[in-house]
Amino acid sequence: MKKKLLVVEDEKNLCVLYKEELTKEGYKVMVATGADTALGLIKKQKFDLIITDIRMPIKNGIELITQIMALRKDIPIIINTAYQSYKHDFMTWAADAYVVKSASLDELKSKIKELLG
Amino acid sequence: MIERHHLLLHDFPPETSKELQLFSIIAQSFFQPFSLIDNLLVILTALTAGPGLGFNRAMLFLADGNKLKGEFWLGPASAAEADSIWRILSTPGIGYYEIIEHNRSLLTSDADSLTKRLKKISYPLHQENSLIPSVATSSKEIMLVKDAWNEPLVDRRFQEVIGVDEFLCIPLLAQEEVLGEIILDNAITRLPIQSRDIELASICGLFAGNYIYTAKLQKRIVEMKKVAAIGEMAMFVTHQLRNPLVTIGGFADQLLDPRTGAKKLKRNLQIIRSEIRRLEKILLRLTQFLRIEVKEMVPVDVQEMFKLVVNAVKPRAASRKVSITTEVEPGLSIILCDPIHVGEALRNVVDNALDALPGGGKIHLRAYRKNKEWTVISVQDTGKGIPESIKGKIFEAFVSTKEKSMGLGLAYVKRVMDACGGRIEVESAEDKGTIFKLCFKTGERGSKK
Repeated sequence: MKKKLLVVEDEKNLCVLYKEELTKEGYKVMVATGADTALGLIKKQKFDLIITDIRMPIKNGIELITQIMALRKDIPIIINTAYQSYKHDFMTWAADAYVVKSASLDELKSKIKELLG
Repeated sequence: MIERHHLLLHDFPPETSKELQLFSIIAQSFFQPFSLIDNLLVILTALTAGPGLGFNRAMLFLADGNKLKGEFWLGPASAAEADSIWRILSTPGIGYYEIIEHNRSLLTSDADSLTKRLKKISYPLHQENSLIPSVATSSKEIMLVKDAWNEPLVDRRFQEVIGVDEFLCIPLLAQEEVLGEIILDNAITRLPIQSRDIELASICGLFAGNYIYTAKLQKRIVEMKKVAAIGEMAMFVTHQLRNPLVTIGGFADQLLDPRTGAKKLKRNLQIIRSEIRRLEKILLRLTQFLRIEVKEMVPVDVQEMFKLVVNAVKPRAASRKVSITTEVEPGLSIILCDPIHVGEALRNVVDNALDALPGGGKIHLRAYRKNKEWTVISVQDTGKGIPESIKGKIFEAFVSTKEKSMGLGLAYVKRVMDACGGRIEVESAEDKGTIFKLCFKTGERGSKK
């Protein structure tokens, strides 16, 4: 069965890109453009992995991670942000991987593969 | 009863002692926006000004890394020159300020032969067997040298330059740091250096040392701030550019895939184009911010400016259910400013007010005369107020509470107000609202500041 991913990203174009590219890799991909939408989805469905941005309006990725951990401890989470600097924020250490956004999605793809075994 | 006195004295009654005048002038010079060399010039001038404290000439060495370098040398080069200078300086009405000016002009002129000779001299610091003058600095002691021509501890080259039998070396120190040295002599009058002269000179040395130390610290702080600001800016710009770049890169990769159909090809190109435009916008905002230049201040009709700004934000205000009112004090219609930048700045402040009112509210624009000197445009909103955590730095670039903002808005406003010779003030209470005041100097038309 296809593994199911959730991408949390407020940039609409990036959502389209991630959805297409990760679908090509053989995953079932859902996107949420905000943390609250994402939480709604996570409560209703089972995901195998979550990829989230950090800087998002209203609620940021770090708050989202904390709430996801409270809901489902075992979902692997990849932080995908334009910022290197959040690596120093120990709250991001709760995530399973930290991938800085890049024009090439190779690193992100290989991290997903690695985490899903 | 309370008597009030000026902090800075300009005229001294004739009975004021020379020492008090001297220290007062030196202390006051620290209040002036002088350069380091200017302030040291004041100290050395005070020590050598003919009717001053009895020294004829003063030379300054400054520590630069591991070297003690000759910086400048004040005083007459000959008895004849001394006579003519001191005659001018004793003219009634000529005070220390004129003497300082005179010395400053000397330093910048080519005719200054003393300084020229001194500039060629430098000594390594902290070296064993060092000679006078550098030994006074490294041993941190005041040294009075007598019979200098026969003193083996005096460097011969230095002795040739100074050419006198008696001189005084005062090391300049602060916080255990070696900063330089002042050397004083009476080459013209040949008066022996008295213990009272040494005491006064040593106090001046303490002043000078502390002043150099402070100036060095200040310079270091300014540099550190600059580096920090550049770092912050570079980081911010990198991030601002990264999202569009990732999008462009990703969709461009898809274009290279031969399986991509015509429809998707077109869509990708459209996305790439729009992201490129976004990049351009980011760069434009940044250059605008970095290149604020107010060329001329012209009279601007406040009513007109209010109207333009209100019209520009009307659609946003309507969609947020925010009502905007304006009020211009009777008789006040014109302020002096740069219309384009100030209009844009005001728009920025109003935009911020709108951002603070997501659930509707009121914005009031008001122009009034605060006093003779200042005319104020205020923007008051009934919004959520500025969070305490960023209150102190809202005017810094790249600070924002909004996720997608570059944090340039208020930094821009502040830079515009600075460029117009005005200032910006803010009062804010959480959940009550914020009032921004753009204060303009009521000034002359056509002037830059």
